[in-house]
Amino acid sequence: MVLASGLRPDSESRPDSESRSAPVVRLSQLNRYFQLGDQTVKALDGVDLVIETGDYLSVMGPSGSGKSTLLNVLGLLDRPTSGDYFLNGRLTTGLSESELAHHRQIAIGFVFQSYHLIPRLSARGNMELPLVLAGWSPAQRRQRVDEMLDRLQLSARADHLPRQLSGGQRQRVAIGRAVMLKPSILLADEPTGNLDTHSGAEVVRILEELNQEGITLVVVTHDQALGARAARQLRMVDGRIVMDQRVDSGAT
Amino acid sequence: MRFTDGVRWIVTALGTGRSRSILTVVGIAIGIAAVALLTAIGEGVRSYVMTEFSQFGTRIIGVSPGKNVTGGIGGILSSVRPLTVDDADALRRIPAVETVIPVVQGVGELEFEGRHRNVKVMGVNADMPAAWNFRVAQGRFLPEVQAGAASSPYVVLGHTAHQELFGDRSALGRKVRLGGRAFRVIGVIEPKGDMLGFDLDDIAYIPADLALQLFNRESLMEIDLTFAAGADMVKLQADIRRRLIDRHGREDFTVTTQDQMLNSLDSILSVLTLAVALLGSISLLVGSVGIVTTLTTSVQERRGEIGLLHALGAPRQQILILFLGESVALSLCGGGIGILILLACKGVALVFYPAFPLTPQPLYIALALLLSVGIGLLAGATPAYRASILNPVDALRSE
Amino acid sequence: MRFPDALAFALQVIRRQRFRTAMVMLALIIGVSAVNLLTGLGEGARRYVVGEFSSLGKNTLIVLPGKTETKGGMPPLVGEAPRDLTLGDGLALLRIPGMQSVAPLIIGMAELSSGGRVRDSLILGSTSEFFRIRQLKVKLGKALPDQDWDLAAPVAVIGTQLKKELFGTSSALGKWVRADQRRFRVIGILESKGVALGHNLDEVMLIPIASAQTLFNQAGLFRIFADVMHERQIPAVRQRMLEVVKARHDGVEDITVITQDSVLAGFNRILRLLTVAVGGIAAISLGVAGVLIMNIMLISVSQRTSEIGLLKALGATQSTIRNLFLGEALLLALLGAFAGTVISELLLALGRLSFESMPLQTPLWARLASVSLALGTAVIFAWIPSVRASRLAPVEALGSGQGV
Repeated sequence: MVLASGLRPDSESRPDSESRSAPVVRLSQLNRYFQLGDQTVKALDGVDLVIETGDYLSVMGPSGSGKSTLLNVLGLLDRPTSGDYFLNGRLTTGLSESELAHHRQIAIGFVFQSYHLIPRLSARGNMELPLVLAGWSPAQRRQRVDEMLDRLQLSARADHLPRQLSGGQRQRVAIGRAVMLKPSILLADEPTGNLDTHSGAEVVRILEELNQEGITLVVVTHDQALGARAARQLRMVDGRIVMDQRVDSGAT
Repeated sequence: MRFTDGVRWIVTALGTGRSRSILTVVGIAIGIAAVALLTAIGEGVRSYVMTEFSQFGTRIIGVSPGKNVTGGIGGILSSVRPLTVDDADALRRIPAVETVIPVVQGVGELEFEGRHRNVKVMGVNADMPAAWNFRVAQGRFLPEVQAGAASSPYVVLGHTAHQELFGDRSALGRKVRLGGRAFRVIGVIEPKGDMLGFDLDDIAYIPADLALQLFNRESLMEIDLTFAAGADMVKLQADIRRRLIDRHGREDFTVTTQDQMLNSLDSILSVLTLAVALLGSISLLVGSVGIVTTLTTSVQERRGEIGLLHALGAPRQQILILFLGESVALSLCGGGIGILILLACKGVALVFYPAFPLTPQPLYIALALLLSVGIGLLAGATPAYRASILNPVDALRSE
Repeated sequence: MRFPDALAFALQVIRRQRFRTAMVMLALIIGVSAVNLLTGLGEGARRYVVGEFSSLGKNTLIVLPGKTETKGGMPPLVGEAPRDLTLGDGLALLRIPGMQSVAPLIIGMAELSSGGRVRDSLILGSTSEFFRIRQLKVKLGKALPDQDWDLAAPVAVIGTQLKKELFGTSSALGKWVRADQRRFRVIGILESKGVALGHNLDEVMLIPIASAQTLFNQAGLFRIFADVMHERQIPAVRQRMLEVVKARHDGVEDITVITQDSVLAGFNRILRLLTVAVGGIAAISLGVAGVLIMNIMLISVSQRTSEIGLLKALGATQSTIRNLFLGEALLLALLGAFAGTVISELLLALGRLSFESMPLQTPLWARLASVSLALGTAVIFAWIPSVRASRLAPVEALGSGQGV
């Protein structure tokens, strides 16, 4: 049951200093093809992209433009058909399944539109899941989770099950879970898609706050308003990046 | 992941589909209970039979006339080369031999003052009570006789035979007729009960040489020897063979030790126990189909959760272990309940029917638990593997 | 809902849930075929044993010397009695009206030798009638001569195995076999019959009864076989036999007469009981299959709450919904029981091909019991889930199915 994952709170393996200077993400000529019947769908078609540490990206585009595929590939959930993907300066193509899992654990955080909370676990239980998987002791977990609950103003809801929480609260739990192990990049897929305006704004505020603390943030969205908030805005059509625009930081 | 966290994860996962988990556990519990009960009964029968056979003592060697594959019944048949009372006396001189009993067995009609009773007749000698653990209730057993001398016509009655002929009157010193000859009753044996449906008390014991005359036989049916504890069995058997070959000129007899007989009986009964255990495990098989079904359904329903575990960086083998753990937990629970059912049956049997041969043994209980763990692993293997290789992108999309 | 529509509905559900259908079928197949196979084996063994004993002939009575009054009813199959059964007794029995034939028997052991080969063997002393009563056939040569019982002719008929061991492949007819101090000329070789009644007749030597008496120096008989002309005469003849021998034995009834029926009935009862017990143990697995059906129906109900809500919204009554779910379980059970029956029949047919002497066949009661048990457990265990489905409130049912 105890699976060695080098990640322990006392020996947090942060990327070493030389790779720290490298961009968080560098994609070069990345392709991801799907076979649908006898037709090849190019979900990602020769994508080149560099994301620097601390970037705030939004990815927009019509349905089927490859946004989600890009997010899955960035999150190491999906493997590119060809091309290179450097995460923190390290080539990820060719890594084994368990190495990919390890990188997902230490370097990547996910926030989903539908939260993906485990219904039988409390807010605290869901939030501490990454720490549990990493083998932290209950005492160490408690301290970290308490801090996070406090910061997300969820302390009063710690023992509630997901179905007893509002949508905004659920998404905050999910965000807390995503950043629990201080990932270098946070990938958010329509994070406000299921939320009313007020809760959506709250979630966005938290995400941007995290970004300002240094976590690289990538938001995939249909929502123009949300997309426009990002410092760097990508637009995808048919698997290609058709626009990569940096906006003055004054936009916030 | 820590062990305790893993256990908590599994317990909460199983607790969510409570009725489903309970039903799965019930299935396995019935199977394990069936196997455990049947082996316990088999074991009970085995130890009952072994005790029955060991009540005559275990340090017994039998010598029967004839050397043939026909086995047990050889002694009953006529043989051109008989075993005699003299042979028995000769064996008595072997060191380490404690008692030697010539045995002739038959049936006859006892008569006393107009009352008749058909009983078994055993021709034996003075050594019998010591060798076969019989106790004399009244009077004494057949007296020692000088080798070669003729015995006196004495008879010792079994409990039932005595009751039937004499009722509450004393039989000691009375003369009864058996096969046209008068025998004086000199003792009564303590009740010994039944052995496998064979009444050990409806017997009249007379000297072996007189029994041979009575039945008009030349040969004893068997010579039983008992020997000192710690005697060298191999040497002893060799001594018996040599002594009889010296007298007969060839090996025309069969030597069987009680050990050999008990051993072969033991192995037959163990095989039978195994066979009924296999019968019971059909239910276990069906129970494990239940685990496969529940777990597969559970994996289907929890695709999103599995996807999330992937996204959080849980390695595949960890997911595999978590789902295998659910399977093992289900079957182990089933195993535990099955054993509780067994113990409950034992309790009920103790209260209402103490003689029922039900012997739960710690070893078998441990084996049953081990078996249930094995079933959990086997039944869980496919669903757990399917969970672990689930494509995370598809799994996350499924919600 | 009309029955065909309900059936189509259930079939469609079963097809859609292919995995669960397969698992329930598997469980039922294991249960039903285990019951059928095991009872089939038991029944086969029973018929085999009965067949073996029937080789004795229905009209045969066996006379044993001695009598006991011990409870338990086990006849004194072994042992001696003070008063011998004699050839005179046998001849007296032959004179009883309704008696067809009588064969006396002495069994003993002796060392046989021929041309340097030596072997201990079972020796049966009897008459030519013995061949008829025990249905023994001679493969080569002839049977024991039909002559006076007191004539100690030095002739022998030997079993095939004994022939092989004493003579190898060379001819045995006309050769001499030495037993103790006497010699016997081989006049016949038995047809191989295998083990019957515990004796392997392939390994015995048959000699005339008088020869056996002199060989073993013994007048008393081990058994007398008596064949009655008609089966219905058995009770009367049996009674007469006891009387005849009692008169000859100074007025003491000291023999036991057993009929084949009494031996057979015991075996029959034991083996039938064994078959039922084994079938019963196998049937436990059908109970476990029932638990599985309940489980799967519960899962099915919980996953199809919105479907149930829809049906209710469309005006389905509680009993319609209950019957739909019950029907689904029943259909599954029917399919599983059918497949299990077919599979066990095929396996037993295969078994009959491989072991021709074993009449492997599932008794009718077991077939009916296994199928009706399967259907019965399905209805019993599906009842609670079906009722639960039927009682779901439509609003609640329709409202479910939204993600967390």
